[in-house]
Amino acid sequence: MTVLTRARPRAVHQARPVRNRDGWWAAFFLAPQVAALLVFLAFPLGFAVVLAFMRWDGLGQKEWAGFDNFAAQLSDPEFGLAVWNTVKLALLTVPFGLGLALLIAVALNNVKGGGFYRVLYFLPVVTSSVAVALMWQIILAGNDYGVLNASLERWFGISAPDWLGDPGWVIVAIAVVTIWSSLGLNVVIFLAGLQTIPLQIVEAARMDGADSLRIFRSITLPLLSPTIFFSTVVAVISSFQAFDQIYVLVDPEDNEGAKTIVYQVYELGFKDFQFGMSSAAALILLVLTLLVTLVQFAAQKRLVHYDS
Amino acid sequence: MNRALAVLGILAVATTACSGSGKAPGVSSGSGPVTIRWSTWGSAEDIKLYEKFTEDFEQRHPDIKLKLEPVAKYEDYHPKLLAQLTSKTAPDVFFVGDDNIGKFVSAGVLTPLNDKLAGPSSKSKPEDFFEGIYGGAKKDGQIYGVPNDTNPEVLWFDKKALKDAGITEDPAALNEAGRWTMATYLDMNAKLKAAGKAGSIFWNWYGSTYSMINGFGGKVWDGGKFVATTDPKARAALQALTKGYQDKTFLSADLLPDSNGPSTQFLKHKAGFYAGGRWVIDSLKKGGELGDYDIVPFPSQTGRPMPGAVAASYLALNKDTKLPEQAFTFLTEFVSKEGQLIRLKDGGAVPSVKGAEQIVLAGGYPAHAQTFLDVRDTGFANYPEEVAVPGLTADINEHLMKVWTGKVGFDEGMTQLQKLVDGKLG
Repeated sequence: MTVLTRARPRAVHQARPVRNRDGWWAAFFLAPQVAALLVFLAFPLGFAVVLAFMRWDGLGQKEWAGFDNFAAQLSDPEFGLAVWNTVKLALLTVPFGLGLALLIAVALNNVKGGGFYRVLYFLPVVTSSVAVALMWQIILAGNDYGVLNASLERWFGISAPDWLGDPGWVIVAIAVVTIWSSLGLNVVIFLAGLQTIPLQIVEAARMDGADSLRIFRSITLPLLSPTIFFSTVVAVISSFQAFDQIYVLVDPEDNEGAKTIVYQVYELGFKDFQFGMSSAAALILLVLTLLVTLVQFAAQKRLVHYDS
Repeated sequence: MNRALAVLGILAVATTACSGSGKAPGVSSGSGPVTIRWSTWGSAEDIKLYEKFTEDFEQRHPDIKLKLEPVAKYEDYHPKLLAQLTSKTAPDVFFVGDDNIGKFVSAGVLTPLNDKLAGPSSKSKPEDFFEGIYGGAKKDGQIYGVPNDTNPEVLWFDKKALKDAGITEDPAALNEAGRWTMATYLDMNAKLKAAGKAGSIFWNWYGSTYSMINGFGGKVWDGGKFVATTDPKARAALQALTKGYQDKTFLSADLLPDSNGPSTQFLKHKAGFYAGGRWVIDSLKKGGELGDYDIVPFPSQTGRPMPGAVAASYLALNKDTKLPEQAFTFLTEFVSKEGQLIRLKDGGAVPSVKGAEQIVLAGGYPAHAQTFLDVRDTGFANYPEEVAVPGLTADINEHLMKVWTGKVGFDEGMTQLQKLVDGKLG
């Protein structure tokens, strides 16, 4: 009895410091992340939301603007054009980029010793986006001076458009560069997804007489759908945020076909000194991205299979 | 409690570590000489032109070190400067472009310079600079930025191309005789076009466009209002430009590929005129027969000289500098006659200060180099009303490009342009 009464408080007494110490260690390790999150995410986000309702040139006094900035942006044809260009870019890069990555991943999954190819496809991902843009600038330059157009003219007699100068083609050129640069990452993600598919299911289907196409359609695709869903969400968000490559590849000030929403945000803020308007445009982009992501999540219920 | 303080301390350290190391302007480097930070834009070649000045300055002022913080692209320069000004980390002295100066002046981030320039330590008095090129750097009689150098917009002409097109008259000679009229110029362009060449190549910027408007006798701004789309003569000039761009009499340098750009076209005698500044000499030296080229101002309706556009940039003093005296010493010497003689000796600019004319005239090239000085002395920097609105000049140029390229019809384009400017002016 004595033992029991003495043991209880000791147990409680011993457990408490351990929990507290864990908590302090957790706080210690999390502190830098939390600080960075507060400084670089929470504060700028909050500040941007407030600024979206203000008139501010970055230097002078801030004035309350209410919803004027939003109304001005939503009725501005320039902003409409930027939204349309952004949507076009997403429509080109997401299905084609992910489709191509899936095909390559399936091929690599069935190739022995595919490590070399994986590295090859992944190289563009680790290359600086500015270097990528500069390289593609040489390839896609207009008339006979661009590597691509000179080759098309010389070998096939095709007179190709000025990819980066023609407002009608520039988004296609940007989409090609984007797909090329993000291909490796998508291939690696899909490969990882493919390797989680249990081999016995594929073998069973094969024994039942299913051909490769049927296996791909009825087994691979459904079991890979969570990975495809994840990649689609990420790819849509990335294409909505496209800026750096476009800025280096084509100066959107010279070609309105390349103006995306993020460029519009940059131009309004740092070229026109209209930080309120710029923040409003950024918030509209945030809402647009959220809406598209919500639609994707809604579609997930019908299209994505989590059971193996 | 101690632990809580430790965690808070770590948080604070992490926050500080993550918040960058923005340097405040005018910070002394210990007990030694003070460091004056200054910034400008330009390529590596442009930046090299400042080395001699820096060397000379630091020798004469052992207590001051100069630290140049350049930005390669002009388009990136002002966004960076704005961010630095907002975060109070801007350099002590900095360049400001003529299309942005107005906003910085009205924001009150620049030191007023009248008293300092007129003071005993000044090496450059306010009246040493031509009135027209102060542009938006002067407000209510107060100077906020000193023109550091200029580039008057003139028409370079190719004697060989003109001769090939059957043009026997020399534009510079016509100008000297007071017969350099807009009608003659447009007639020469038509002949060049008929000979399978381009008449003129223009960069799509206010210098060319507003010089043409002035040449037609039109007004761009009047009483604080943008009248280029309504003033009949200005409208006629814009219509002539539109027609010229669309029938290829005029070429837009902005639309030519880098590999076959305006300089190449001009060197290959494929165009009669090329609107540009003194910097064109560098292009001609790279592969042209220098004797084939000369300059003439933009023509006027009557043949009498009219004010032409002058590209300018300004050197301004940060209002938050901790070392105003040393920063001003640098500023005034940089823009002084002696400073410009050192800086511009090998460059392609025209001095903004009186008395340094030998830089332009000494080499005897081009034959009518005096034209640069004439245009500078009577010319105008971008209009203060226009530069007071950031991005407005760029927006006007961008919109006019739509008109030049036929994406928007002329009348509709003019209506939209007026609406755009009115909207920006609020």
